[in-house]
Amino acid sequence: MVQINFALKEVNCKIVFYGPGMSGKTTNLEIVHEKAPEENKGELTSISTDGDRTLFFDFMPLDLGNVAGMRTKFQLYTVPGQVYYNSTRKLVLQGVDGVIFVADSDAEKMSENIESYQNLIENLQEYGKDIRELPHVIQYNKRDHANAMSVEDMDSQLNKFGVPTFEAVAYRGEGVFPTLKTLAGMVLESIDRMDRGGKRAPAAEPARATQKVGKPAAAPAPRVAAPASTQRPSSPKSAGSNRAAAAPSMATARPSARGKAPVAANPRPAAAPMRTSTAGKPALSQNRRQAQPVARVPARRASGGLALVITLSVLLVGAAAGVVYFFMGSNLS
Amino acid sequence: MSEAKKMSRNDKLRHDRLTFYKDDIDKIDKLLAEFLRLSGAKSALLIDKEGHLVTKRGEIKTIDIDTISALVAGSFAATKEMARLLGEEEFTAMYHQGERDNIQLGLVGDRTLLTILFDDRTTVGMVRLYANETAKKLADIFKSTMGRQHESPDLGADYGTNAKKSLDKLFD
Ligand SMILES: Nc1nc2c(ncn2[C@@H]2O[C@H](COP(=O)(O)OP(=O)(O)OP(=O)(O)O)[C@@H](O)[C@H]2O)c(=O)[nH]1
Ligand SMILES: [Mg+2]
Repeated sequence: MVQINFALKEVNCKIVFYGPGMSGKTTNLEIVHEKAPEENKGELTSISTDGDRTLFFDFMPLDLGNVAGMRTKFQLYTVPGQVYYNSTRKLVLQGVDGVIFVADSDAEKMSENIESYQNLIENLQEYGKDIRELPHVIQYNKRDHANAMSVEDMDSQLNKFGVPTFEAVAYRGEGVFPTLKTLAGMVLESIDRMDRGGKRAPAAEPARATQKVGKPAAAPAPRVAAPASTQRPSSPKSAGSNRAAAAPSMATARPSARGKAPVAANPRPAAAPMRTSTAGKPALSQNRRQAQPVARVPARRASGGLALVITLSVLLVGAAAGVVYFFMGSNLS
Repeated sequence: MSEAKKMSRNDKLRHDRLTFYKDDIDKIDKLLAEFLRLSGAKSALLIDKEGHLVTKRGEIKTIDIDTISALVAGSFAATKEMARLLGEEEFTAMYHQGERDNIQLGLVGDRTLLTILFDDRTTVGMVRLYANETAKKLADIFKSTMGRQHESPDLGADYGTNAKKSLDKLFD
């Protein structure tokens, strides 16, 4: 739900990355975090298992700056894609203003894509929302996959409402910003339209052509363009063995569907680790690699000289309860 | 889609947003300041259920209000879901105890959360007592503001075009 706050002179909107497990939602957000200008982004906070599967959500604020006197901010969230986590996924969807559906191009994942899209429709319905009235776009991610389905086939199976679509290779950063830009534009347009009396519902834009990867953000997509590369990345996350195993607690609740080799290191108590990356964190794999997945909020933007530590741990439903601790230091307001 | 639903779409869109006007926030700020004085708590944040800050009072010493607001809303939502599964209507309050600082969360009306930070200069009993009173008064303010949300457009006429420009700038 858009919040318009005339006292703070702010407009806040909530954008959610949705889609099946492992489709690349968290990766999208990591790229946005890595590449957005320093002054526009806040920290990236992840509530995930040790295996880096999203457990509750990833979150980062993105500040568009001053728009006609109102500081306009997007709160970006990802949901956990695994079927098992529907209760938390639904919570993240509450009050959503726009959705980026991240689909996996692997032909074998098509049924999961369809199931997840259907699940999105149903979860929105539970909040009394009709997907056709909600700004949303679809991203066909993992275009580099050897077994990638054609865009036409994906379109006909998934894009029921003719929303804008984008090709992406998220972990190389391709297609991430064009997707977000278009959706953000649709959300802002819907706010503007609401404001003027809501003559039309914020339905999908007419554009049907899928924007190809490797194109600059603003360029409209010529359909002939080939994907930037058809070659498969040598190792789509060789550093990614750290995400192979779910946290012990989660593993007992439900073993990782992917049955990867368990990582022996770092058996942890039931608490879900919270990752917080600094604004200028270097490589993605670094973001993910986390020897000590504990809450850590770096003192970015601390205006006073005093130190600040916030420790948060959130134990979740489905298995657990939520706990938050704040420790406060310097003075801001 | 039924006719009735079509007719109400415009209303629904407006209902789908939360608008706070300066004079209402001034009233809220006053209430929060009074609450802090009476209870001895350090600070109070009013956060909407989507995790956006509405207003804050007191010594707020954190670097990232956006993140805190998102986490507060998330953990409250999770708790609420737990309540539902246990057959409770809703847990209307939550309390987190730290070594030095504590947090009390309470529902205000059906759309906002009052988040109170306090330390050992006061007690959870005092905080809860005054928080309940304050929540009631806040709920009254919200009730009286609801009707006003249908007034003239809220954002400037140039908001849409300026927003496009800003997006181009951010994503170029
Ligand atoms: N080949 C390939 N792999 C990708 C691409 N984008 C992301 N990945 C990899 O896919 C895996 C899963 O990515 P995540 O971003 O964690 O997936 P998710 O959608 O957040 O998954 P859940 O949190 O479980 O819902 C990671 O190993 C990524 O590096 C891509 O474009 N191509
Ligand atoms: Mg994820």
